[in-house]
Amino acid sequence: MDSNIQLLIYLIPTLIGMFLVLPTGRVIASSLEETLPSFATERGRVLSGLLLTCVAGFAVSIQTLWISSKVSEGGNFCASSTVFSCDDVIGNTAYNTDPIFGIPWGGIGAAVFCVLLYLAYSTSLEPNSTWVDNYLKLGTALTFGGFLVIGLLVSYEIQMEKICQYCTTAHIANVAAFIGFYRLMKLNESGEWNQES
Amino acid sequence: MKHIYDDEADVRTKAAIRVMSLFFVGLIIIAATTSPIATGTKAGERAPALEGKFYNGSGGWQTFNLESYWDSNWQEGDVSGQWVFLEFMDTDCPYCVRSAEDMSLNAADFDGSNPQWNGAIVNFMASATELDINGHDSSRAEIVAFRDKTADSGQSCAGSDCGSRPGSAHTFPYIDDLDQDNMKEWKVGGTPSYYLIQPDGIIAWSSSENPGEDSRDAILSLVTRESADTGGA
Repeated sequence: MDSNIQLLIYLIPTLIGMFLVLPTGRVIASSLEETLPSFATERGRVLSGLLLTCVAGFAVSIQTLWISSKVSEGGNFCASSTVFSCDDVIGNTAYNTDPIFGIPWGGIGAAVFCVLLYLAYSTSLEPNSTWVDNYLKLGTALTFGGFLVIGLLVSYEIQMEKICQYCTTAHIANVAAFIGFYRLMKLNESGEWNQES
Repeated sequence: MKHIYDDEADVRTKAAIRVMSLFFVGLIIIAATTSPIATGTKAGERAPALEGKFYNGSGGWQTFNLESYWDSNWQEGDVSGQWVFLEFMDTDCPYCVRSAEDMSLNAADFDGSNPQWNGAIVNFMASATELDINGHDSSRAEIVAFRDKTADSGQSCAGSDCGSRPGSAHTFPYIDDLDQDNMKEWKVGGTPSYYLIQPDGIIAWSSSENPGEDSRDAILSLVTRESADTGGA
């Protein structure tokens, strides 16, 4: 399968998730309320979008880690002579690991999205627990910190004059997750957490 | 009635177990489908990038990329794959000047032009740097004079005319690493340093890991040959 078509497997859920966590999510969610009752509430819509985004972010991070392993074997997955060449970015040993511990960025992404997924999933299972407030704040802080990492990775891409589509999808997932956690945190603080719509 | 679950269990535990399971499934898939090779300069590691401009006797300084030599489909024992013998050197380093003769001899014996050599072709190349040592003042003109063994060029190599260095003129490419970029990337501690690299880009031997072992012996013992008991160079 072409690597760009394969990318759609991750990109489409990420974009749907982003759409759901935004106020615009009400537009598509209203027609699905009967099939998916959780879409009837703002909390349900945002949580669903957030879970979808975290799963997609985790999956694309795992795929990125897989690509870096494949490239290290000498193979290629999405090499291209155009500006969109994730092999050139993920396979560049000067930039493809974090500068402190030397862990591949894909591995860091997978671990972080798992933590975010845990925070969102726990919240969705028991939304009125006392710890939910802290979990939402932690999720917001983690995804906000992700912006610094995204800035660093984009600066690497500018230096290499190449764009990694898979990495960009993970970055979009982080942005969507930040919006989701932030909106849930505000909803929880506003007292409208348990409102019907 | 027998309890098969804990009524009091916190959903956080359930969520953590499920998410951790997902994480480990992801890692297991990667572990089962890939065999990652670390990039580095030790034997068994993938050779780091080596880029820049190179001089090969004609056509001036042209773009060089070591990656263009690699064949990812090469299999061990395949004599058609071409190996790389890389030297990190400084034209003002006395040891490098002295070893120029060995480089001349080895390149002539193993570069495919010697009918007595029944092994794979070994492509020789040198990455010429300028060490941060007093008196080491190199340039592209000096690299050219060193490589071509140009007499009376006005270029001094380790205090003598570059044309008077031991050995014959070299026929292999010299890469400009005067800014030490490649040397730092390869974490080269001093010159001369030698690396023998397989056709698939994996380091087979390095002088830093095998002190005292002659580079010629390394080539003879490691480079694929058609028959182990026939002559040689």
